[in-house]
Amino acid sequence: MSAIGDNSQDCYHCGLPVPAGSSFRAVIGGESRAMCCAGCQAVAQTIAGENLDGYYRSRTAFAPASGDGAEELERLRLYDLDSVQADFVRREGDMREVQLLLEGITCSACVWLNEQHLSRMPGVLLAEVNYTTHRALVRWNATRVRLSEILEAVRAIGYRAFPATAAGAEQARRRENRSALWRVFVAGFGMMQVMMYAVPEYLAGDGTMTPDIERLMRIASFVLTVPVVFYSAGLFFRGALRDLRAHRLGMDVPVALGIAVSFVASVIATFGEGGAVYYDSITMFVFFLLGGRYLEMRARQKAVASLEYLDRALPLGAHRLSAYPASHETEEIPAVALRAGDLVLIKPGEVIPADGVLVSGETETDEALLTGESLPVLKRAGAALVAGAVNRLSPVVMRVERVGEGTRASHIRRLTERAAGQRPPIVEITDRIAGWFIAAVLLIAAGATLYWLQADPGRALWIGVAVLVVTCPCALSLATPTALAVSVGTLARRGVVVTRVHAIEALERVTHVVLDKTGTLTQGRLSLAASALAPGVPAEHALSIAAALERGSEHPIAQAILQAAEHLGVSIRAAAQLRAIPGAGMEGVVDGIRYRLGSRRYVAQIAGVLPATDDAGDGTSAVWLGSEGCWLARFNLRDALRPEAREVVQALRARGKRVLVLSGDEPTAVGALARSLGIDEFEGAMTPEGKQARVRALQEAGAVVAMVGDGVNDAPVLAQAQLSVAMGSGAVVSQAQSDLVLLSGRLGGLLDALAISRRTLRVVRENLWWATLYNVIALPLAVAGYVTPWMAGIGMAGSSLLVVLNALRLIETRERREEGPAGTQRGRTVAAAHPAGAGPAPGPGAL
Amino acid sequence: MDILYLLIPLSVVLVFLIGALFWWSVRSGQFDDLEGPGHRILDDD
Amino acid sequence: MSAQAAAFNTSFPAGAGTTTYNYTVVRQFAIMTLVWGIVGMLVGVIIAAQLMFPDLTYGIPWLSYGRLRPLHTNAVIFAFGGSALFATSYYVVQRTCHARLFAGPLAAFTFWGWQLVIVGAAITLPLGITTSKEYAELEWPLDVLITLVWVSYAVVFFGTIAKRKTSHIYVANWFFGGFILTVALLHLVNSAAIPATPWKSYSAYAGAQDAMVQWWYGHNAVGFFLTAGFLGMMYYFVPKQADRPVYSYRLSVVHFWALIFTYMWAGPHHLHYTALPDWAQSLGMAFSLILLAPSWGGMINGIMTLSGAWHKLRTDPILKFLIVSLSFYGMSTFEGPMMSIKTVNSLSHYTDWTIGHVHAGALGWVAMITIGSLYFMIPRLFGRSEMYSTKLVTTHFWVATIGVVLYIAAMWIAGVMQGLMWRAVNPDDGTLTYTFVESVKSTYPFYAIRLLGGVMFLGGMLIMAYNTYKTVASGKAVDAPVLQPAPAHA
Repeated sequence: MSAIGDNSQDCYHCGLPVPAGSSFRAVIGGESRAMCCAGCQAVAQTIAGENLDGYYRSRTAFAPASGDGAEELERLRLYDLDSVQADFVRREGDMREVQLLLEGITCSACVWLNEQHLSRMPGVLLAEVNYTTHRALVRWNATRVRLSEILEAVRAIGYRAFPATAAGAEQARRRENRSALWRVFVAGFGMMQVMMYAVPEYLAGDGTMTPDIERLMRIASFVLTVPVVFYSAGLFFRGALRDLRAHRLGMDVPVALGIAVSFVASVIATFGEGGAVYYDSITMFVFFLLGGRYLEMRARQKAVASLEYLDRALPLGAHRLSAYPASHETEEIPAVALRAGDLVLIKPGEVIPADGVLVSGETETDEALLTGESLPVLKRAGAALVAGAVNRLSPVVMRVERVGEGTRASHIRRLTERAAGQRPPIVEITDRIAGWFIAAVLLIAAGATLYWLQADPGRALWIGVAVLVVTCPCALSLATPTALAVSVGTLARRGVVVTRVHAIEALERVTHVVLDKTGTLTQGRLSLAASALAPGVPAEHALSIAAALERGSEHPIAQAILQAAEHLGVSIRAAAQLRAIPGAGMEGVVDGIRYRLGSRRYVAQIAGVLPATDDAGDGTSAVWLGSEGCWLARFNLRDALRPEAREVVQALRARGKRVLVLSGDEPTAVGALARSLGIDEFEGAMTPEGKQARVRALQEAGAVVAMVGDGVNDAPVLAQAQLSVAMGSGAVVSQAQSDLVLLSGRLGGLLDALAISRRTLRVVRENLWWATLYNVIALPLAVAGYVTPWMAGIGMAGSSLLVVLNALRLIETRERREEGPAGTQRGRTVAAAHPAGAGPAPGPGAL
Repeated sequence: MDILYLLIPLSVVLVFLIGALFWWSVRSGQFDDLEGPGHRILDDD
Repeated sequence: MSAQAAAFNTSFPAGAGTTTYNYTVVRQFAIMTLVWGIVGMLVGVIIAAQLMFPDLTYGIPWLSYGRLRPLHTNAVIFAFGGSALFATSYYVVQRTCHARLFAGPLAAFTFWGWQLVIVGAAITLPLGITTSKEYAELEWPLDVLITLVWVSYAVVFFGTIAKRKTSHIYVANWFFGGFILTVALLHLVNSAAIPATPWKSYSAYAGAQDAMVQWWYGHNAVGFFLTAGFLGMMYYFVPKQADRPVYSYRLSVVHFWALIFTYMWAGPHHLHYTALPDWAQSLGMAFSLILLAPSWGGMINGIMTLSGAWHKLRTDPILKFLIVSLSFYGMSTFEGPMMSIKTVNSLSHYTDWTIGHVHAGALGWVAMITIGSLYFMIPRLFGRSEMYSTKLVTTHFWVATIGVVLYIAAMWIAGVMQGLMWRAVNPDDGTLTYTFVESVKSTYPFYAIRLLGGVMFLGGMLIMAYNTYKTVASGKAVDAPVLQPAPAHA
């Protein structure tokens, strides 16, 4: 433990190397330690200043690097508004309570540090961090401290906190969790105690236990079984009732029937003329079933919990211009408070808070998540701006036209909801078999009872019961959830979050895989694909000037240029008199020479004639660099394919799936990309409605469709598809619609999921075969009257155990399939392209 | 074995008492974080 | 807390610096644990010697084996073990709940009342005043006093839990709480009796039923008094001394509930091969075997707490005590279920093997974990950072460990030997091969080794007493301030 931070070359706080010549230091525990940046220094000084340096002694991992989040401060204030707080703050008089998601927790010392730091704030009444979920419960006095100050306090020690906006969902989940745990407990406790009274009956030889004692024990067992049957197993009875009302024989029907029949028979035996009791079998059966379901639920919840870190967008704020154009004074208000007709200022890098019309200024907006268009769109006065798009270039003024329910985003949301209702259901394999199974068992039991009524009326009822008990459908009802639970856990470790368990079963049965382009097959951001240089111009020189012009810009083109420059280690010079012309490019002066970087026409205005190019149709867009009188370079930018895209497409086709690309992007770009992947079914320029309609048409032709997408515009089609897969790097709304989420946008996770789906289904089928075999042997014996109660009990427990153990085989050793498709590193031919990989998981906005 | 007429009902009552205790602890969130308390006692002095 | 620190920490509630934990009662019980430990073990050494030298006490009736033996068991279990449980549970519940002990005067009453019970036992038992129920020998007036003390104990303990400042109740408190409630129930049911004279009463149960109730009590006294309570100690002091969180907190919670579920029902194994119905004996055996699972879960959880910090074991004798006690716990909880198997029991029953098993638990587990916990607490109760001499603690550890090993090994061999001798028959005529007195004679050398082991363990306690005296003499009684749930490190 003490080894953390012993290397004096590295930052004592975050462990990153200290840049040469840096002089940041902080005194911790009486010793001066090197820091890598001002951010870490400030954090370390805060920690040491509060005598919390015990953190450095007990931590087992370095702290997250401390970024500089000054620009966020202003936005944090939005959290103090009552209208914003309404979503996630519980209030009681002056007391406020919130659940915060903490980001950057690396070990238990971090938890300690956050608790200490927060609980020392004046006005904070309670701060408790859950070690497992990294959620902090904070209670404070609203008259003494504000929520933004609490969030800022967390930031001051190098972490980030976001109010858990889905507080309602969290509440519901906790309730579900508790009631499930309680059900399992009642069944488990009941089982143990009933066993206590059942075992003596098995142990007692003939005549060693007097009838009155036996009766006493049976009554005790009965009392203990009642809550198990009526409370714990109530779930199955309700499910069975629902199934019967819908005129189908689902899985819950045989389960409920088995429990009900053995319970009623046992009650008759206890209080009537005698016979066998099955209290121990009932309680054990219920306990096993609920235990399996509980584990499956926990595994799913745990996987889904990791998703919540993605939903950490700040509340959307807006800068309202109250007296424009007379005054440019702005006031901060939450987006929900906007009204049609309001004028708002939208700064570069900000998300557009409502639908509206641009009234002043020019800019480019990034609508990739909304439309799939990968290049920014030029917006001049009078152009429509869509809520959710990102302003990329310069500050503009917008008049709000539609807010809340009226916006394009809410339209998509409604579309999504409607599509979800139209999704054709996938019938689960066990449910399909259950119908036949239960019908057969019921017939056989009835037949056996009828036969024995003739042959030996005294035994008829008991034989009928034995048939029902011995055929108890454990393999069907128990093995599947266990197998699914194990698979969910395995997938979660590979970065594939399963939000709805039926996905695992559905995956294998998919016939069509529909892929979105931007952000799904591609990385969703531009990178330098190729460049052409004027004679005598060194590549480094051109890139260096281009980077100088683009420095500090969030524009996708700028990002691509800067990334390439950084990758090649080009030193970036300083530029002066920078000017951005929306729809055209950048202009600036470097080393006394005026340069332009941008469209062909824009650059030609100063550089003169540019060489002809034949770049149409290869999916790249060209950016030119020129100075007065001469051109320097042409950069071809492309939204690069994800490295594993080709392999994934091939693997999908190898498994007999039809692969389609549906995109909102330009048809030519879509075609180029699809053809390069060998996909011949593609369509471009599609609206969300169009995509959804197309998938519905496929479904009507009998296809089982899996949709993989990332954007807001994909949400409706994701909801329509039988199986939906969202990219973890994409929009939250599309993730909310999906059955699977590929964390960190790793497309290869799809193949992992497919492989595991196969293995899971194989295990489920094995279990079904086992159940069949067991029944083929046990049923005739039971019908013939050879099965005694304890045999039926043991048979039931034994077959349950066997299927569970079989399902547990799905827990795999780490190494197996470790080198999945996504693990293979690609070698790109274009030297300038930065191998950006699949990108890191969305983490703290460090560095 | 008349004593069983005392012991068995007694134990059934006990079972329900323990059940109630467990119910309370589930409801009051005693099992919500099953990791943190282990760490927390180390910081109590 | 210094004025400077208080000024710095503005969020600290006013007056918090003046509230302290109630360490007075903890100190009293801690010191008396040591005193009664020495007394009880001394009596044990005397009766061990009596088995070797039957005339040791010149036939004085008050000092005869039959009267001293219950005095020994009562002194070590209820005086030594009981005081240790009072001391540690009062300490742990205050610190983990961040609250001062509820009802201070009542807590003081539990101390003086409990001491009175012990003194009463020390007087009545040698006088031959006994109910003759094992581990429940005290007559009804003392039983009434025990009930009063115990109810007060429950009020103080659960009152403190009720006023806790943390929402979670630490697992050690669950074990302590379970122990307090169960012992109350056991005591009430088993001690039900009809008084005839001030010092004589008759059990409310008759015949085999009395035996059944008695062993339901006897077994659970071991399960909850000598196991659950001391597991509470383990779950607090092992992590604290190792400065690491318990290996799996989740497992510790499961451990608690599993123990509660299964322990209650294993009692009849004490009555193997008696008038108890066969099925009841088999039931006892079955549940004794099931018990192995939670017991070992707990032991592994305790020992694995050290994973990643095993090096601490080399230098820290207190940790040695705690970890070795867990090893003995594991050993005796394995041995116990084995001995409850009827075929094994037919060999071990009534032999010294049982005595060896009991002492593996009593000396190896109960006494060692208590000693470790006391070594942790005593310096903190008297304002010192550590014991007067760590070297003496190390010495104590080795003397005690060797003493226990000698004791157990001797009794084990003696027990198996006795069992084999008693069941040996001549194949020709079916008569017994050995007379009983022959088996006694063969046991003689093992009695000597056992006596040596006992003397060594007692010697260790005397070393501890000296070490404690020096620690207390150079320190002074200090009550630590009550800390906020998220404490200030000012």
